[in-house]
Amino acid sequence: MKIAVLAKQVPDSETRINLPAPAPEIDDSGFTRVLNPYDAYAVEEAVKIKEAGGEVEITAITIGPETVKETVKKDCLAVGCDKAVIVTDPALDGADEAAVASVLAAVLQKESYDLILCGLKAIDDDSGQVGILVAEKLGLPHVSVVTKLTLGDGSLEAEREIEGGKEIVNASLPALVTCQKGLNEPRLPSLPNIMKAGAKPMETVTCADLGLEPPANLVQVKTYSPPPARGECRLVEADEPAAAAKELARLLNEEAKVI
Amino acid sequence: MILNENQKMIRQMARDFAASKLAPIAAEIDRSGEFPETTVKEMGALGFLGLAVPEAYGGVDSDITSYALVVEEISRVCGSHGLTVAAHNSLGCWPIAHLGSDAQKQAWLPGAATGEHLLSFGLTEAGAGSDAGGTRTTAVRDGDQWVLNGTKMWITNSHYAGAIVITAKTDLEAEGSRGISAFVVPTDTPGFTVEKKEDKLGMRASDTAPLTLEDVRLPADALLGEEGGGFKYFMMTLDGGRISIAAVALGLAVGAFDTARVYAQERHQFGRPIASFQAIEFMLADMATQIEAARQLTYEACRLKDVGESFGHMAAMAKLHASETAMFVTDRAIQILGGYGYTTEYPAERFYRDAKLCTIGEGTSEIQRMVIGRHVLTD
Repeated sequence: MKIAVLAKQVPDSETRINLPAPAPEIDDSGFTRVLNPYDAYAVEEAVKIKEAGGEVEITAITIGPETVKETVKKDCLAVGCDKAVIVTDPALDGADEAAVASVLAAVLQKESYDLILCGLKAIDDDSGQVGILVAEKLGLPHVSVVTKLTLGDGSLEAEREIEGGKEIVNASLPALVTCQKGLNEPRLPSLPNIMKAGAKPMETVTCADLGLEPPANLVQVKTYSPPPARGECRLVEADEPAAAAKELARLLNEEAKVI
Repeated sequence: MILNENQKMIRQMARDFAASKLAPIAAEIDRSGEFPETTVKEMGALGFLGLAVPEAYGGVDSDITSYALVVEEISRVCGSHGLTVAAHNSLGCWPIAHLGSDAQKQAWLPGAATGEHLLSFGLTEAGAGSDAGGTRTTAVRDGDQWVLNGTKMWITNSHYAGAIVITAKTDLEAEGSRGISAFVVPTDTPGFTVEKKEDKLGMRASDTAPLTLEDVRLPADALLGEEGGGFKYFMMTLDGGRISIAAVALGLAVGAFDTARVYAQERHQFGRPIASFQAIEFMLADMATQIEAARQLTYEACRLKDVGESFGHMAAMAKLHASETAMFVTDRAIQILGGYGYTTEYPAERFYRDAKLCTIGEGTSEIQRMVIGRHVLTD
């Protein structure tokens, strides 16, 4: 069985974004970068399937500059993926979801994968489109927001989160699944696997290598703006909790006018 | 310090592990003094307990730099875990991996690498430690067996050890450090007892206990290396052990420094963060400078050992300076935190108590100065 994991490098959620005024680009030079946490669920699920037995080969696929290699090695190969394909092409800087999906689909078409796993969204742009767009481009069934995955013979059964409950769906393989928190608990790479990760194949390709014209963006980012500055915090002081609550209610009503 | 890509990944992994698994329990196990069996097992699964074990016996066989990075990152969050990993690898696994027979390695290393059991080292006695000549534990030949009698003190990880390397006098006539041999003693051998765990100032969850050997009968092949080689073997073991304690001390210092730095930027007095007062800023500057010096010494000792050069004097310098730095930094951290630093609400006082071990264990700061003194006077 061949499994592909679509992985994206994103800024660490604790990264401070310095954006003093509206700007068309974010200065990302000082960012610490990590694997998108939702993609970590995809990697973990693939490794669990491999550990369950049978011939399984896991390929991690990503798009990004040279610096993504470190994340791919540490968070994909050292965790248990067998190899990686990295599309590095300056023409893809700032590519939108549709462009990214076209490139990933082109990589995926080079092999016949039985299962494609990816995070339900990336924590940087929160768009949640790429996985589904890839499946559409390849004409594959896709199941999104999955919290439990069971593979059968040529099919899968997945539990999806829906409002107030869960939905259980079946799909034939090959298929694409987007992973949600709760699917599994991503492991840390073990030391022996970290040592071995360097020897695993990591292939770097460009759009030209894929026989692809760099796809044009359908969406242009106009500007990023910093959130409005937060107001001062005011402490309501009173001797008794009841008096403090009364004063708080008065302030919310008369000054903030929210109640 | 320049790290290669593997070393960076290992450091990050150890940091992630410490943040997710050790930070939530460090204060509690310090209070209770309970040995953290669950997280020690998890460290086994990640390979932390097989750092000094060759790959052929199921270990990771890492370079010493990677090993020290793991010990530093763990100690930065929890000294007890740091000491457990350090003692297991450098005192427990190392002598068997480097001096043991194939049968001894087969018997003890695979289980040690995965954390099924720990390994430990029994050198110190009531009247012997730094002065090996005071060794009173004896091993006497009886046919094809050895019979061991004696007591040992301050033996780390002993309740959880599958086997303990024990030093004993085999030539009762020999004087001083001569006539000492080392034995691999399975802890379930009749006559071998691990006594009650010590109640300590710091490193409270680390397992430390005295041992009693009463007519402990061992087969001839329990001897580690050559008969009479004991003194040389434990000197070699302790050279590596000193790098371990340096890394523990470095981690504790960094942990305390992190606490103080964050606090100094958040705590306001007279309308500004206390870090903006030079009294505090200069303390942080001194702490950071001492830490960096300790780091350079520690990793230089690692580098020398990794390339196979003589490293004993550098390990002693690293241990001395890192331990004294840990005392200085943890003391200043408490000072910066003021009243909060004196309470168990913040980890500064725990780092302070844990750090004290580093100026004592595996050769006191005074013994390190003797090692360094001899080196500079004979070089």
